[in-house]
Amino acid sequence: MKRRYGRTVEIALFILPFAAFWILFRLGPVLYGFFISLYRWDPLGDAKFIGARNYLNLARDPRFWNALVNTLEFAAIAIPLIVGIGLVLALFIFAGRKRRVTTWLEAGFFFPYLLTVSVVGLIWRWLLDPDFGVVLITLRDMGISPPVFLNEPRWAIPAIALATAWWLAGYRMLLFRAALEDIPDEFYEAARIDGASGPRIFFSIVVPLLRPAILFALVLTTISGFIVFGQVLIMTAGGPGRASEVLAMYLYRFGFEYLEMGQAAAVGMVLFLIILGLTMVSFRWLGYESSL
Amino acid sequence: MTASKLGSRLLVAVVAALALLWVAPIAWMFTTGIKPAPEIFALPPTWIPQRPTLDHVREVLSRWPFLRWALNSVVVAGATTVLSVLVSVPAAYAFSRLRWRGRDAIFLVFLSSMLIPLEVNVIPLYFLMNRLHLLNTYPAVFLPMIGMPIGIFLLRQFYINIPGELDDAARVDGCGNLRILWHVILPLSRPALAALVIYMFTFAWNEFFWSMIALSSPQMFTLPIGLRALQGAYDIDYGVLMAGAALAVLPTLMLFLFLRGSIIRGITMTAHK
Repeated sequence: MKRRYGRTVEIALFILPFAAFWILFRLGPVLYGFFISLYRWDPLGDAKFIGARNYLNLARDPRFWNALVNTLEFAAIAIPLIVGIGLVLALFIFAGRKRRVTTWLEAGFFFPYLLTVSVVGLIWRWLLDPDFGVVLITLRDMGISPPVFLNEPRWAIPAIALATAWWLAGYRMLLFRAALEDIPDEFYEAARIDGASGPRIFFSIVVPLLRPAILFALVLTTISGFIVFGQVLIMTAGGPGRASEVLAMYLYRFGFEYLEMGQAAAVGMVLFLIILGLTMVSFRWLGYESSL
Repeated sequence: MTASKLGSRLLVAVVAALALLWVAPIAWMFTTGIKPAPEIFALPPTWIPQRPTLDHVREVLSRWPFLRWALNSVVVAGATTVLSVLVSVPAAYAFSRLRWRGRDAIFLVFLSSMLIPLEVNVIPLYFLMNRLHLLNTYPAVFLPMIGMPIGIFLLRQFYINIPGELDDAARVDGCGNLRILWHVILPLSRPALAALVIYMFTFAWNEFFWSMIALSSPQMFTLPIGLRALQGAYDIDYGVLMAGAALAVLPTLMLFLFLRGSIIRGITMTAHK
């Protein structure tokens, strides 16, 4: 009996350091954030309980809905773009895996992932500059008259999504490439002997076996899609007008520019619930395969 | 046979062209950073700088505490990495090498907190750090990045595959869990530790949203926040902005060129189950 007790204490001590950080700085803040969202916070420090008023204010604020729609638009463009490009690059790298040069190509595709978001934002703002950006100049030289991406309400979000895909697709590529390497060679050989075509092999063998990897990539990318902030701040600052103001930016501005901390905390809760809901949907949709 | 060989050559050529296009924005950043202002806005654009200059680099280094920002980034990323490893190793051990009731359920709870990104928590974290009088200090930035589930997930995944006979043998010799962890598990798990170090360092080095909120004085900025300040000051003076961005990227690029294989292996491990 005594030994068992000692063992429990030992296990607890192994987990405690991690658990302490986790509770204080990860789980705790979610609960604290909910508490904050129920109050009106005076910049001088006074707080007044107002129940769900902050949430009602959000529901009534057209600017909030605008930010929500913009975030959804960004997610709808960026998520398939990031995961899709990652998958295509992985297939390329996998197909050429027997050549030495491939490791360098892979490194090239991956490198942008290591850049900080400010660098990504600055580079793409310069590339897409309406007057001197090399992308627009090149397109014009080719006889195309491109939109001035970042200055046009309809094009700002797609342009930011493109820059984000450039930044993040490399990590998904590594994930898919590793999953492709896990598929035993015999699977392909058997399929080829049975006379299956390339696309047939892809959709009947590769895609089903990549499901766990696709699910993981989707969840990961959904999260980064909904919390998008830095690249928007640097590339358009939410503009033109509020055409690219996303939820995280709305949160930042209400919290730290208008000092409406309660309302900003409410946005945080909304973001959390969106991520939670979408993750559950993707698990349902793609089937949860426990990796435990 | 020749047709398929030709096909494979063609594929490599296409992918290589794509890879060049992919890294072109980075090359463009470097060349813009060393072009004099008139050349930056010259039409048609020049790919190779005609009169390279270090004026922009000098401007960034002399007018801004750029090296201090780099130092701040090293401190924040270093502290995040070291502390993450310290707390994740024993927890991952308890979740993989020890058997106890409720183990997998508790692990799943920790793991599911992957769905709570830092960004969602910035307001409560701001309140918390304000109460702890930590705003505008290093700990304010690195403390919230330590309890990330990726640490225990990655290590646990690795520990589970180490054969149990090894610790049985050690146990027969009278070793307790701490000594087994130190003498048996840790020496065998270098690849997983390296992966975690690379992942955490990159994550902390690049963190933006929370750092921007937690740090208010320019002396405390990390590189990403400092670059944002540069943008605020220079707007569309792209020579200076690209010089600053290039200076921030340079250490990453050097490290990547030297450690390309291990960085890619490590990051792959974090994404691969």
